[in-house]
Amino acid sequence: RMNRKKGDKGFESPRPYKFTTHQVVCINNISFQRKSVVGYVELTIFPTVANLNRIKLNSKQCRIYRVRVNDLEAAFIYNDPTLEVCHNESKQRNLNYFSNAYAAAVSAVDPDAGNGELCIKVPSELWKHVDELKVLKVHINFSLDQPEGGLHFVVPNMEGNMAERGAHVFSCGYQNSTRFWFPCVDSYSELCTWKLEYTVDAAMVAVSNGDLVETVYTHDMRKKTFHYMLTIPTAASNISLAIGPFEILVDPYMHEVTHFCLPQLLPLLKHTTSYLHEVFEFYEEILTCRYPYSCFKTVFIDEAYVEVAAYASMSIFSTNLLHSAMIIDETPLTRRCLAQALAQQFFGCFISRMSWSDEWVLKGISGYIYGLWMKKTFGVNEYRHWIKQELDQIVAYELKTGGVLLHPIFGGGKEKDNPASHLHFSIKHPHTLSWEYYTMFQCKAHLVMRLIENRISMEFMLQVFNKLLSLASTASSQKFQSHMWSQMLVSTSGFLKSISNVSGKDIQPLIKQWVDQSGVVKFYGSFAFNRKRNVLELEIKQDYTSPGTQKYVGPLKVTVQELDGSFNHTLQIEENSLKHDIPCHSKSRRNKKKKIPLMNGEEVDMDLSAMDADSPLLWIRIDPDMSVLRKVEFEQSDFMWQYQLRYERDVVAQEEAILALEKFPTPASRLALTDILEQEQCFYRVRMLACFCLAKIANSMVSTWTGPPAMKSLFTRMFCCKTCPNIVKTNNFMNFQSYFLQKTMPVAMALLRDVHNLCPKEVLMFILDLIKYNDNRKNKFSDNYYRAELIDALANSVTPAVSVNNEVRTLDNLNPDVRLILEEITRFLNMEKLLPSYRHTITVSCLKAIRVLQKNGHVPSDPALFKSYAEYGHFIDIRIAALEAVVDYTK
Amino acid sequence: GAKHASTPADNYHLARRRTLQVVVSSLLTEAGFESAEKAAVETLTEMLQSYISEIGRSAKSYCEHTARTQPTLSDIVVTLVEMGFNVETLPAYAKRSQRMVITAPPVTNQPVTPKALTAGQNKPHPSHIPGHFPEFPDPHTYIKTPTYREPVSDYQVLREKAASQRRDVERALTRFMAKTGETQSLFKDDVSTFPLIAARPFTVPYLTALLPSELEMQQMEETDSSEQDDQTDTENLPLHMSTDDSGPEKENASVLQQNTSLSGSRNGEENVIDNPYLRPVKKPKIRRKK
Repeated sequence: RMNRKKGDKGFESPRPYKFTTHQVVCINNISFQRKSVVGYVELTIFPTVANLNRIKLNSKQCRIYRVRVNDLEAAFIYNDPTLEVCHNESKQRNLNYFSNAYAAAVSAVDPDAGNGELCIKVPSELWKHVDELKVLKVHINFSLDQPEGGLHFVVPNMEGNMAERGAHVFSCGYQNSTRFWFPCVDSYSELCTWKLEYTVDAAMVAVSNGDLVETVYTHDMRKKTFHYMLTIPTAASNISLAIGPFEILVDPYMHEVTHFCLPQLLPLLKHTTSYLHEVFEFYEEILTCRYPYSCFKTVFIDEAYVEVAAYASMSIFSTNLLHSAMIIDETPLTRRCLAQALAQQFFGCFISRMSWSDEWVLKGISGYIYGLWMKKTFGVNEYRHWIKQELDQIVAYELKTGGVLLHPIFGGGKEKDNPASHLHFSIKHPHTLSWEYYTMFQCKAHLVMRLIENRISMEFMLQVFNKLLSLASTASSQKFQSHMWSQMLVSTSGFLKSISNVSGKDIQPLIKQWVDQSGVVKFYGSFAFNRKRNVLELEIKQDYTSPGTQKYVGPLKVTVQELDGSFNHTLQIEENSLKHDIPCHSKSRRNKKKKIPLMNGEEVDMDLSAMDADSPLLWIRIDPDMSVLRKVEFEQSDFMWQYQLRYERDVVAQEEAILALEKFPTPASRLALTDILEQEQCFYRVRMLACFCLAKIANSMVSTWTGPPAMKSLFTRMFCCKTCPNIVKTNNFMNFQSYFLQKTMPVAMALLRDVHNLCPKEVLMFILDLIKYNDNRKNKFSDNYYRAELIDALANSVTPAVSVNNEVRTLDNLNPDVRLILEEITRFLNMEKLLPSYRHTITVSCLKAIRVLQKNGHVPSDPALFKSYAEYGHFIDIRIAALEAVVDYTK
Repeated sequence: GAKHASTPADNYHLARRRTLQVVVSSLLTEAGFESAEKAAVETLTEMLQSYISEIGRSAKSYCEHTARTQPTLSDIVVTLVEMGFNVETLPAYAKRSQRMVITAPPVTNQPVTPKALTAGQNKPHPSHIPGHFPEFPDPHTYIKTPTYREPVSDYQVLREKAASQRRDVERALTRFMAKTGETQSLFKDDVSTFPLIAARPFTVPYLTALLPSELEMQQMEETDSSEQDDQTDTENLPLHMSTDDSGPEKENASVLQQNTSLSGSRNGEENVIDNPYLRPVKKPKIRRKK
């Protein structure tokens, strides 16, 4: 069975045979017109038991013509139970029934259980041969017509030959789905070496795994054959292919790296990939390990299944990640995709996994080292912000659905043993999961790796990774020796053993808590200050009965900022203790002139007049390092949140303070937010968040608000001309922090409402003026995202129409403000047809704004416009926006 | 003959002319004429003037030909010889007995050429230029005197103008497009107030979505040259090969562009990038037929 083995026996295959040397895949005909593929595979099989008479392989949607074993014709049966999950005769028609039937169908062909769709009978002439455990060669001829998955054809409908039309095809899919395009053992744990051959049109390039050995013309010189050799043992699931009339770019920094893109996009490819070598350097340095393959290829294709897909020695990316030097917003996103893809080359491609229940280790490590890259590239603030975001996401998801289990162990297969009975799907196979669950699974995996790092230190962590890689690397250079190759497969037990060997620490409780069981922790905290004893009485409650929660027992860090400095306390959270007494260091008598020392050693002057005269407490933080997967609801006074926002240097604390201040609409909160907004040293994301909080506070304070609308004077000071404050300066986006703020402030301001719950006219006119005077002629960067957000701002300003007796919306009764907005949207949307913006960001915003106008009853609610934009042939972002609008009609 | 107010210069020239007329008349008298028609006198005066002018002009040329600025007697002599005049006869003619003496023309100061543009002092010669060389021309001939029109200093007006101009152009253009093509409308009863150009799918949608428009490319070049920022232009390294249009022959013949500085720093002596995708495609092996 596939469960983890105790002891060190290594990996045991579920199959009574092993692959030897290598597998050959030869695709000798590809037709773009018919979207079809013809080829053969040849598997060399090594029986491990006598009387092997059946060989099970995976194959989906392929038509199999002929199977030969050692040149003898062999009979075969092909059955794909996933094609008809619920048979016609079954009476039950509910999700639960389907889910069980589907899981059973997937299980029936699961290669990790030794199953497959294709069952080949070993010819009786060979039985004696098999009993001597001699090698078998299985040769399968197959074809594929109009594949619905696994291999995707993109064939633009226009004049010209296929190369001129930019037609291309690529492999894709979720988890192990290589069986969609050639017969194989579609498992991450069955490694072998590969010979891959593709015969394509002479104007096309075939990109695949391993080294391109040679390219040879066919006899008629109209086609050429690409011969690839992959000598590093690799799972079939990590084999990939992309064929198209690609433009080729050899990386100027690393000549063994080659980039491919569709025709005309070469300048964008050059710019986009110019950064990749730095990611290589980073990973190689922290892992103290060379990139494991002898070459690397990136291919950018249209209609990508996912933005990033990693395969052995190559990655397939969406072409929409390409951008020019003028584009700001896409740049970090694309770089993150490149870094993710590269991290998975080490863990995921080179090092594969033993079984599905070990997936979390691979996703965890690749996600973790990607996080380290983030920290180094974008800084600690961005990193912590990202960790908080991921933590919030997983917590919200687990609380909503009931939990994500990283390392499921399945007993005898009885329903009562199902560790995920709270879900509507089985988590036994990757193919039965929901996509959202899998996304959250990956998120949790890297967060748990970070928790392990917190426990054993980053140094040990990297040593463990290095050890895994060097073992795999040694194994990969060996000739066929199955027990050696299994070193290239990671398992939960092997990984944990490695951690214990390297660090000498016992992390079993941590693993038990976060890996072997699902759920997150929900803390409620409150406190009282006991003046007599000078003690902080902290109460921490937990909710561990709601779905998706679990009980936490163990250490919990609490940081208390007092007048005399910041102090860390480690509390032991135990079964029955809710109250924790924390002695304070400072006396409440305070020396007004004294500076307050912060956690980072900085000493600052504070205006202490707001605080409670009897207490030395400025603010309190529960689990500031995010070393528990938790949600904390903590109660402290508004002035404490304000101090925390102003003076705590951790961006996560600042963001938490901002969210908390929404509940305290007071002039003091307003001032704290405005101050943070103006502070240039403050992290730009915190300032952006402050904009939205300020808008909310202003709305709550609408009857007492004094002065111009929130943020208006600040925006004017930062971005408008000195001499004529109603005109925005010509765009200059060289300072990215200001750029992001300039984009966000109007969007937040448009959320302001007056006493009648309408957007103040002054604000609307202000935004319209920003649009009117927008001038990008002198800017080095494109303003497409800025203009798009100005349209978002217009949409945010819209409030429900005053409708009299549900009258029909016509032009005559159109609100004059809406008329102005509609005027802008019309012009923007029409200009997009003439001068399209990058990724059509402006069209996307216009469509969203039109839906808002419809929903608020200003414009007749008619989906016709969105339907036309949702059609095939529009850019993907436009289609998604249009489809979202169409779906919105159902809400 | 338009009458106009006489200037000092006119007076000066008229006086000289009158003297010449007197000279012609006295020569005629000397030759025995008692009267002459005005037109004849005029013509003769004209001829005399031309003759004298030519002597002056020619003499100056001879003088300058020998790199001098002031004509000497010999220049006049050469001139007269060149004009076919027998110089030897001149002293005798000058001393003839019947010659008439005329009064000298009234002393009128040579009119000062009005310094129309006294844009500063004439520059003195620098020390290495001999004094006899011509003076520098008037400063106004080479000094730049930029003139300013009062600029439209009102920034607000300019921005306003630019903004409304752009808006007008955009609106006119999109309205035109909408009028001439298919449209969509948000209001069923009205298709003209907010006409939306109909959404039309593309065959290759990613190209328009990703490639910068020509306008943006142009703008990028302009801002690139005008602004100095320290961005490394790694994207400009010409290490690439494009195969979009490469037929078999072309690809075989393709030569790599090589950036010497890069390969020098990164790869030492290595000069050719060995990348399998850049290698030539092999000819098929000839299989022996059985």
